[in-house]
Amino acid sequence: MAMTYYKNKKAGDKALEIITSIVRALFLLGMAYVLLYPVLFLLSNAFRDPIDRLDPTVIWIPKTFTLNNFFLSDQILGFLPSIMKTLSMLIPSVIIQVFICLMVAYGFARFNFKFKELLFSCLLFTIIVPVQTMIIPLYVNFRFFDFFGIGKILAIFNGGEAVTVKLLNTNWPFYLMSLTGTGIRSGLYIFMVRQFFKSMPVELEESAFVDGCGPFKTFMKIMLPNVGSIVIVITLFSIVWHWNDFYLSVMFYIEEYPLSVSVTMLQERLTLLSQNMSAEDMALAESSLLEAACFVVIAPVLLLYIFAQRYFTESITRTGIVG
Amino acid sequence: MKLLNGKLDGYNPFRKRGLAEKKALWGWFFIAPWIVGFIFFFAVPLVTSFYYTLTTIQISHNGLEFNWAGFDNYVYAFTVDPDFTRNIVESALNIVYQVPIIICFSLFIALILRSEFRGKTAMRSIFFLPVIISSGVVITILQQNVFASGTGEASTLFQTGNLTDILVRSGFGPSFTKIITQTIGQIFDLTWRSGVQILLLLSALHSIPDSMYEAAKIEGATGWEMFWKITFILISPTIVMAIIYSIIDYFTDYSNSIMQMIVENVKIGKFEYSTTISILYFAVVMIIILFVNGILSRSANKAVN
Repeated sequence: MAMTYYKNKKAGDKALEIITSIVRALFLLGMAYVLLYPVLFLLSNAFRDPIDRLDPTVIWIPKTFTLNNFFLSDQILGFLPSIMKTLSMLIPSVIIQVFICLMVAYGFARFNFKFKELLFSCLLFTIIVPVQTMIIPLYVNFRFFDFFGIGKILAIFNGGEAVTVKLLNTNWPFYLMSLTGTGIRSGLYIFMVRQFFKSMPVELEESAFVDGCGPFKTFMKIMLPNVGSIVIVITLFSIVWHWNDFYLSVMFYIEEYPLSVSVTMLQERLTLLSQNMSAEDMALAESSLLEAACFVVIAPVLLLYIFAQRYFTESITRTGIVG
Repeated sequence: MKLLNGKLDGYNPFRKRGLAEKKALWGWFFIAPWIVGFIFFFAVPLVTSFYYTLTTIQISHNGLEFNWAGFDNYVYAFTVDPDFTRNIVESALNIVYQVPIIICFSLFIALILRSEFRGKTAMRSIFFLPVIISSGVVITILQQNVFASGTGEASTLFQTGNLTDILVRSGFGPSFTKIITQTIGQIFDLTWRSGVQILLLLSALHSIPDSMYEAAKIEGATGWEMFWKITFILISPTIVMAIIYSIIDYFTDYSNSIMQMIVENVKIGKFEYSTTISILYFAVVMIIILFVNGILSRSANKAVN
């Protein structure tokens, strides 16, 4: 009697398990559809002739594949110069930012000094305060940049006027902010890396110290080679957020914009170029071109993500970025 | 003389420093770049920003001219500007009802993604996709384009016309119906906003040792009990963090009406007013965060202990 009861319970469990996994699969597939929908939509529309958009028989796979949308939007926007612009800003900034964040995080994680708690709460404060609240002083700062106050001292030699350099329309605002640990979301990365360092065992550093290795050398030789997973996460974040940055770029560049900003200008430029088109044709062409341009913007980060995705998800679940 | 000597002793650079003191100096060395950045690219601009709000700015032939105006900008924001008060109340209310939904949704997804099933890795990468894409300007374009034009299917994807009917007929109040239909209309938005939160919660879930669940199982705890007594309590600090992240994320979103006011005022050259709005808005959000943090952190800590 007891045996059959047990068996029945087991069978019930199994049925429940199957039902759970079916419901879960359906739910996840539905959600995945919502998440993938815009990407698929872009992919499908970027490669299709604008006329196909009106054809009700065409849902996902276009009847006529075309690269025309890309060529046209390239003519209007000039992808190559803006991509070069983005890369020239992004590559040095990301490298500097990641290194500086590791360094500052190491300082916060392993050393004791006066005001450490106060400074750390200041760091948390920088994460919370959005850059929008101080964008105008920052703008003025880079318009009349005086090398952290040195320009004011040099004013003695300059007839009382501070020596300043105009850094707008160069990549220097981004480099400088990365170099001083205040670049795009630096505070967040410092916080994340600090948590990671704190979870690392101290024994290794102590033995290095006993062997006569100075703190900086310990950091370079012992800590850096062992931070693999967290570095992948913050590098990927850093690349993506620099690539996608809009607000700072629109402020700090004047004529030649990086890709993320120039995409938003497609609409204006198209209006200027095509005044004799009918409104309907115009709207149709516009959305096709816009989708092609958007595809160009997200394709590189998407590719990067597809390649790095395994390390990314693994390291996040393994390191436990929340500590 | 003796006193002076004593004082000088402390500053003698050739004196052999103690280990702790040396380590402290190295600590300063490591965080030095950040301190420079904090002063020049954070503290000074923030204070200057605040100063700007107390002036009127005029653009003249020799740069910007600042005229002291006291609290005029603040008075203008609250008493004259018709949009500001309405928008700020609306944004604050939106935060209040959207954040819990985002958190529940992310927690739900994180719990599902934590369990073992086939295709787990693929699903995880799809759910982290918003982290990669949604930080950009493209998402704004996508939202306008994907759901406004194109195939007819898109616009019916989240239509709630029938549901509104059903809810109203079953006697629910109009405001309740509005919240429900709005939420459904925003499913796209919600899933796209939850990327980072899912990531945070999932990594917290992974840090709970399996042995805890095993012990609870032996004691005869049900899955429901285990969730509330183990999982929920251990990840509650992370939930607080995810809540704060959601608030900030909502605050800096470009589609936000206040954010649009800030950008528009810069465009028409009213720098001081734009800064006033952003500082006021930030103050409101800060109060919300402190309030939330104060209440939740205490209960989260209590629960963990």
